[in-house]
Amino acid sequence: MEQRGWRLSAEDVRTWVDRLIAEGREVIAPVEGRGPRVFRPLGCAAEACLDPGKTRWSPKEFLFPRTETLYHYRLRADGPELHDPPLAERERVLFGVRPCDAAGLVRLDEVFLDGPVQDPLYARRRELTTVVALACQEAGPECFCTAVGGSPMGTEGVDVLVLPFGADWLVRAVTDKGRALAAESWTRAHAGQWSLAADQVRRVEQRIARAPVAGDVAAVLERRFEDPVWQETARRCVSCSICAYVCPSCSCFDVHHEGDAWGGREIRCWDACTFPLFTRHASGHNPRGGSAARYRQRALHKFAYLLPDAERTTRCVGCGRCIALCPAGIDIHDTVTRTAAGAEGEGADA
Amino acid sequence: MPEVGPLRNPYRPGLLRIETLRDETPDVRTLGLCFVDEQEGRRLGGWEPGQFGEYTVFGAGECVFAIANAAPDDDGGEPPRVECTFRAVGKVTTALRGLGAGSVIGFRGPYGNAFPLAEWRGHDLAFLGGGIGMAALRAALCAVLRHRSDYGEVLVLNGARSVADLVYQEEMPAWAGLDGVRVVRAVDPGGETADWDGEVGLIPEVFERLGLAPDGRIVVACGPPVMLHFLFEALGKLGYSPGQVITTLENKMKCGFGQCGRCNVGSFYVCRDGPVVSWERMQALPADF
Repeated sequence: MEQRGWRLSAEDVRTWVDRLIAEGREVIAPVEGRGPRVFRPLGCAAEACLDPGKTRWSPKEFLFPRTETLYHYRLRADGPELHDPPLAERERVLFGVRPCDAAGLVRLDEVFLDGPVQDPLYARRRELTTVVALACQEAGPECFCTAVGGSPMGTEGVDVLVLPFGADWLVRAVTDKGRALAAESWTRAHAGQWSLAADQVRRVEQRIARAPVAGDVAAVLERRFEDPVWQETARRCVSCSICAYVCPSCSCFDVHHEGDAWGGREIRCWDACTFPLFTRHASGHNPRGGSAARYRQRALHKFAYLLPDAERTTRCVGCGRCIALCPAGIDIHDTVTRTAAGAEGEGADA
Repeated sequence: MPEVGPLRNPYRPGLLRIETLRDETPDVRTLGLCFVDEQEGRRLGGWEPGQFGEYTVFGAGECVFAIANAAPDDDGGEPPRVECTFRAVGKVTTALRGLGAGSVIGFRGPYGNAFPLAEWRGHDLAFLGGGIGMAALRAALCAVLRHRSDYGEVLVLNGARSVADLVYQEEMPAWAGLDGVRVVRAVDPGGETADWDGEVGLIPEVFERLGLAPDGRIVVACGPPVMLHFLFEALGKLGYSPGQVITTLENKMKCGFGQCGRCNVGSFYVCRDGPVVSWERMQALPADF
């Protein structure tokens, strides 16, 4: 990792972003328009919003689009003719991503790149994408990255890390890919400046008040598969699935066919385990027919199932969007830590 | 992040032409399918009994069924012929049923694990199929019958709700004619016709009546969840151990290779870690199916 890094003024940052755009890259950053703050491709640096707070949606849609074509087909007299969709060609910078969202991209990599089948559309986009993360200037009441091993200045999935430093910014390349975005002319930062900036972020970190999720949570939750907590929590769930849509690490999708008499396409679009139709068989049988079974699947897929290695204790990155946006006030951190704590109590009783 | 070279589009199907159609029951049909491009067929190579494919009806969507026949033992240069047996239930299977001979559909696969045929050598085998569940067993049965001498006695118990719902009626006499193969046909009480000469009863009770000792016998069962539930109960009573009972799990699937996220039972992806599973392994899975 580049230790010293650089110190950039707000003007330097704008020049940097404008240069990245001028060099032909698509720069995607938080933008505040009439609606909520969201990631959008920038026309120029002035459009970016680097204020405290997070976007409504994570930037995952720029690697894993809400809907995309898997192949096109045309129906000809002698049978269908198939065409692959074009692969992405333009280099991309995800700029101003919060560390929790950057960590979410690593969870997507595990699904789309690390298994026996690599997804070519995702792989190409990932290859062309550089992540510039912005350490958090404040913590929301929903934030709990520190409870799941993250940090407001975490570097998982990050190529360039930016820390606020008064009215200026400190910038450090975490990977070679990130270093390629830096300019020769930038002013070097001092170690003392980094430690001051890091202290500032640590104060933000201390304001994250949520209890850590225990390292053995996976085993505990699997043991408590039949716990009444799933029924109690899901009683409020309206199966709207906003939790999955705003989640930086949710990667489940549906595959559909759209066509007419001449041709059509096979598409992939976001889907969610909290929808009743997600698992319903054509026969009508549904292995997760009730909202309790579905909510349990969501919680266990985040905290128990299919974790890539022993180091990784959760798929959840603690952004808290699912908590902030749930219309029924369901809080996955609270459910999971309470269930795990209940298990300790159970041991003491026995 | 791994280095990314040129990757094949895993969703793009190969094209198969419907060569033969056979109606098994009023709503179950078996298709014989040949590759439109023989090269593509040769590239597919083969598959193992128990694996499944994703079949595309262009304009309607994809559906998932077991590959119902065994791949040729040696490729001999011939592109393989794929067979599938399906019931018209939903939108895609209804559209598939609407296609005639000569129509072109898509196929991708094979996906999933396979029946452990090598482990079955020298053992007596019992194939228990309920309704269209028999389709998932047929490839394994075909492979076993092709190498008849490698295995002990073979029982085929083919059950259905009614006589009209029995699949593979045309093939059963040929299976029964082989040395050491016994075919038992059974229908649910009330499903028999006046001239029915098979068994009447649910598969678990018919199997119990046959009184086959568990010694070394492998039971391979496929059918609706309710049949498996009572079958496992009956097998337990008869002294069968969970390790000698094999079944297949079915769940709604989309991608076929562990990415779309819907077919899991705990950390077990039916598409990738299944569909073939022993009763023993099933007992270790969360009760989520």
